Amino acid sequence: MASVHESLYFNPMLTNGVVHANVFGVRDWVTPHKMALLVLLSELGRAGPQLGLLERRRLNRLLLPLLQGPDMALSRLRKAIEECCPQLAGSVHIRLKLMAEGELKDMEQFFDDLSDSFSGTEPEVHKTSVVGLFLRHMILAYNKLSFSQVYKLYTALQQYFQKDEKKDGADENEMELTNPEELDGKMEKEELDGPLREEEIACSGPLSQKQAEYFLSQQASLLKNDETKALAPASLQKELNNLLKFNPDFAEAHYLSYLNSLRVQDVFSSTHSLLHYFDRLILTGAESKSNGDEGYGRSLRYAALNLAALHCRFGHYQQAELALQEAIRIAQESNDHVCLQHCLSWLYILEQKIFDSCVLLEHSVNKSLHFGLPYLASLGIQSLVQQRAFAGKAANKLMDALKDSDLLHWKHSLSELIDISIAQKTAIWRLYGRSTMALQQAQTLLSMNSLEAVNVGVQQNNTESFAVVLCHLAELHAEQGYFAAASEILKHLKERFPPNSQHAQLWMLFDQKIQFERAMNDGRYHVADSLVAGITALNSIEGVYRKAIVLKAQNQMSEAHKLLQKLLIHCQKIKNTEMVIRVLLSIAELYWRSSCHTIALPVLLQALALAREYSLQYLASETVLNLAFSQLILGIPEQALNILHMAIEPVLAHGAVLDKGCAMFLVAKCQVASAASYTPQKKIEALESAILNLNEAKTYFAKVDCKEQLRDVLYFQARLFHTLGKTQERNKCAMLFRQLHQDLPAHGVPLINAFK
Amino acid sequence: IGRAGAMAAAAMVVTAAGGGDFSDLREIKKQLLNVAERSRERGLQHSGKWAAELAFALEPLPLNELPPPPELTEEDARDLDAYTLAKSYFDLKEYDRAAYFLQGCKSQKAYFLYMYSRYLSGEKKKDDETVDSLGPLEKGQVKNEALRELRVELSKKHKAQELDGFGLYLYGVVLRKLDLVKEAIDVFVEAAHVLPLHWGAWLELCNLITDKEMLKFLSLPDTWMKEFFLAHIYTELQLIEEALQKYQSLIDAGFSKSTYIISQIAVAYHNIRDIDKALSIFNELRKQDPYRIENMDTFSNLLYVRSMKPELSYLAHNLCEIDKYRVETCCVIGNYYSLRSQHEKAALYFQRALKLNPRYLGAWTLMGHEYMEMKNTSAAIQAYRHAIEVNKRDYRAWYGLGQTYEILKMPFYCLYYYRRAHQLRPNDSRMLVALGECYEKLNQLVESKKCYWRAYAVGDVEKMALVKLAKLHEQLNESEQAAQCYIKYIQDIYSCGEVVEHLEVSTAFRYLAQYYFKCKLWDEASACAQKCCAFNDTREEGKALLRQILQLRNQGETSSTDVAAPFFLPASLSANNTPTRRVSPLNLSSVTP
Repeated sequence: MASVHESLYFNPMLTNGVVHANVFGVRDWVTPHKMALLVLLSELGRAGPQLGLLERRRLNRLLLPLLQGPDMALSRLRKAIEECCPQLAGSVHIRLKLMAEGELKDMEQFFDDLSDSFSGTEPEVHKTSVVGLFLRHMILAYNKLSFSQVYKLYTALQQYFQKDEKKDGADENEMELTNPEELDGKMEKEELDGPLREEEIACSGPLSQKQAEYFLSQQASLLKNDETKALAPASLQKELNNLLKFNPDFAEAHYLSYLNSLRVQDVFSSTHSLLHYFDRLILTGAESKSNGDEGYGRSLRYAALNLAALHCRFGHYQQAELALQEAIRIAQESNDHVCLQHCLSWLYILEQKIFDSCVLLEHSVNKSLHFGLPYLASLGIQSLVQQRAFAGKAANKLMDALKDSDLLHWKHSLSELIDISIAQKTAIWRLYGRSTMALQQAQTLLSMNSLEAVNVGVQQNNTESFAVVLCHLAELHAEQGYFAAASEILKHLKERFPPNSQHAQLWMLFDQKIQFERAMNDGRYHVADSLVAGITALNSIEGVYRKAIVLKAQNQMSEAHKLLQKLLIHCQKIKNTEMVIRVLLSIAELYWRSSCHTIALPVLLQALALAREYSLQYLASETVLNLAFSQLILGIPEQALNILHMAIEPVLAHGAVLDKGCAMFLVAKCQVASAASYTPQKKIEALESAILNLNEAKTYFAKVDCKEQLRDVLYFQARLFHTLGKTQERNKCAMLFRQLHQDLPAHGVPLINAFK
Repeated sequence: IGRAGAMAAAAMVVTAAGGGDFSDLREIKKQLLNVAERSRERGLQHSGKWAAELAFALEPLPLNELPPPPELTEEDARDLDAYTLAKSYFDLKEYDRAAYFLQGCKSQKAYFLYMYSRYLSGEKKKDDETVDSLGPLEKGQVKNEALRELRVELSKKHKAQELDGFGLYLYGVVLRKLDLVKEAIDVFVEAAHVLPLHWGAWLELCNLITDKEMLKFLSLPDTWMKEFFLAHIYTELQLIEEALQKYQSLIDAGFSKSTYIISQIAVAYHNIRDIDKALSIFNELRKQDPYRIENMDTFSNLLYVRSMKPELSYLAHNLCEIDKYRVETCCVIGNYYSLRSQHEKAALYFQRALKLNPRYLGAWTLMGHEYMEMKNTSAAIQAYRHAIEVNKRDYRAWYGLGQTYEILKMPFYCLYYYRRAHQLRPNDSRMLVALGECYEKLNQLVESKKCYWRAYAVGDVEKMALVKLAKLHEQLNESEQAAQCYIKYIQDIYSCGEVVEHLEVSTAFRYLAQYYFKCKLWDEASACAQKCCAFNDTREEGKALLRQILQLRNQGETSSTDVAAPFFLPASLSANNTPTRRVSPLNLSSVTP
């Protein structure tokens, strides 16, 4: 090896930092920032009696975060002190100035004097108080320093002070631009008068231990709670690489790098970082003597478990299963029940991908409660509720279970799970078709204050539950015809969950669904068709269903029918009941469009039975509407009116605007049809009430801008007015109809035959 | 003027250097002597040493053909006093002092020494500083403070084209130290163009080039030095075949006496596990250059693998006498202790080696192995991780990590590490066998079969892949394939020539006997059963089977009288067409990060 450092190989003092890795146990080192704090403390001790009560309280509140927090620039520290007590800030500055501009002797003297505060009959500082411990730590750390280290500390102090001075001179206003490295970089750039590489300038000065830890924990919590506020993936990785380059033993940085790689869905580097983290963790775990072998084995188990989670996240279920088996085996061998419980719930998640198995889950919930793992237990309950809801179990029992798990959450302040639970409720109410309840739950979550007491400022608003709730909210608004509000919500979602983040797919799907609905309402089928591809990419079943709807709307009946039959079989196989009912409804519609009402009836009855069984109320009422329509066409409008009474109430209460309009239109039609057999007096009454209903339908249709339906209503209304002999009204309706009719292409289907 | 002078000097050297043309060895020798002298003047000891070693391998020149001492320019004369003083300080490792007296010198030589002293002083301080840092994180962050300044000054000179070959080399080193790899490569290539004879620049390029693709896109000067460079980098990139070819052609061209080339060839053979060849070459090398310490660690690895205790002990003592504070010496002693199963002491010596040079990769890996022997898995993991930190492409460390996790009974977890090792050495059967074993443990038999077959196809070192494959087939009731595998295995063993007591041979014969018996191929069955009788553990079974065969044969009529030559002997093997070893791409269904 002939490189330039060759002659240095034989320096016996040479260490690389990697050789002696175990210095990590020592936490306290004297840094210039800490010296400034010491000065502050000693000034506080000296000026204590003269300070006012208010100032003193403010200072005390300031001290703790300063002692525990990361190092900061002198100017910031001074500003913080100034806010509490200006004169103290002045005296601290003067003392620092004297020390920094004096000699080494001054600093040594300062440390000698520090220990005085403990002596005397009435000591200024208690030895075991927070401040006392800090002082003693610092004195101890200082005494341990060798001569050259002391000298280095002193020069560091001088630099620390001079940086502050320089900046004060340079620009008073620019307090925030505290990074002197940047200034250096700029100067160098000018010197070079050539382009320097970005990285080199951005490469900020060395971080201290505390700063690095603070940086990591801050970024990690941001990643968890509010991803958009964290550094961008590329720059975060750059910082981490920088950190790791200088200290490869900093295991936590590897973990953060793993999280960061997950953000950008990079399977290679995330696996690499995860394993690296555990390799490092294993060594630190072995070194800590208190845990001994236990800690070491523990990290092995969790390493395997985390690997399983990683594979699951990337959809490698088989790999995940193998890793999980490994974790389970090791955990069993060492009797680690807690780890086993974690494994069990992961096992459920994996099995769920293959087949439903609530047995596992029930077992997991029981065991978790037994071992006192509230988090896992209630997570299990949530999954169980979700699964049972799909399986059509009684709603009251599910709500009961959710309530019980909520009790658990509030007892243990599991704020994350509270969010999940509320989101779950929103989704379940939506599933049952109670939009008002869903709306209320969604609003509850959004307006609730987070329980995270630690960072009050940072709300947990980057989680999946928020995404779910916001998506539902957007859809609910769109259903009611508030498209502007819906798009506002979607815009917000886009900002909060940028397109490459984990939960972005959720809003993408909802966005496209809403657009699809709008396009269908407007009759722009080609637009809807173009959206189908996007929906299919995110959710294949939904995509196929929408495709069939588009085909149906374009009057390609046989293609639509084929597609729907296929979808029906598939959905029955995977037990997606909601979709089964929707498909059945569409099939029935195909039948009555082809005037085969008698065939449509059994299909509808099947749908109705399913919807009742699974208590999907809204779908049930929609089925009833279809049924009533068929009956109307089959010539039994009285019967139709009878069953309509059953459905109209839930539709009006919870339904989408479009459905409300259709329902009212249908009621009017039935009324007219059944009026045929009435006496003239009653007939007029019936017709008038039909006109009122039509008016209502008209307002609903106008809300969602459904011109075709509007036209039909107007025509119908005009005919009714005509029958009643109200010429003026008739003419008005006819004129409106005429206007719309000119805009729209003529419909092939005769008017009375169309229900939707 | 400086630039012109440098160009003139370089031109003088370059003129005769045709691409890969070794016809004029005298000229080459002249060039080598010249560059050795010039390197030495600039304090570049290792490059000087390399050139001198190579020059030594060539025929001595008569007096009238000796190269004249480099001519002095006006500037050189002006700086001569300062240079002489500074050089002596430099040799005494007083870098700051040397730099102080060289300030303001204009001549190329003095300027280079000036910058180089500053660089080395920075490096030295950096290493001293790490001991005295304030806090653990700062410790890793100690930088060579001089680098930035040096870069600024050198880049100015570079822009103005005032740097000669040595200056460019130093500029490149500074850039590399600042992690500006791309720029560094460009500068080193330029340095190689301007002064192709300076081995240091080539060597730095070797360290920066990570794969064959990168190598293709370099525009290198077309000189005979390029051949040495290519041979070296092929060795680095594990392209051993190509490397050996290059070295052979260098030897043919007249460098047969060069200890450098001999050692490189030995290392190359070591890398492809051709242990006997490597050993004999190393022995030859030690005869020629008995006080050589370089590469002796590799030699000791070979001795270790062959368990040659007396030779290793002799080597260890010998090296210890020469210089006990050398990395290689510590490594040899570590190996020696390890072979004697004194693992604590071995680890101690590897640690010492690392103290001497923390960037010495091999020791980390070896230390990991020692910890593994001591069953201290966490320390082993730590050591291996360090090795990977130093060099990501160290397949032994990845393999070691895999083994560690395998010992911890985590077969799925260790797959990742074995795969990494396999990626780095795609044609090494050991990783493939290890992968296969892991898959077998995970009950992924299809993958496992693929791995074993592939291991056999790339040339199995331990000859175990086929047996394992056969056993897998046996498990899966694929008796046809199992028998095929056993046959191939036996053929392999016999064709090797050396009749080592192979444990599994008896198993193979037993299975084959049973198989043929079932297939009612009496001749083959009885041949195999007879073979079984030669082994202790299968003797009884063999005899029983023979009796059965005799019975059944007597019942049926004895039809075929002519007994064909035993199918498993090498004779028949050569008659048959040898099994074609088709290497299909190893398509493991699992994701391979």
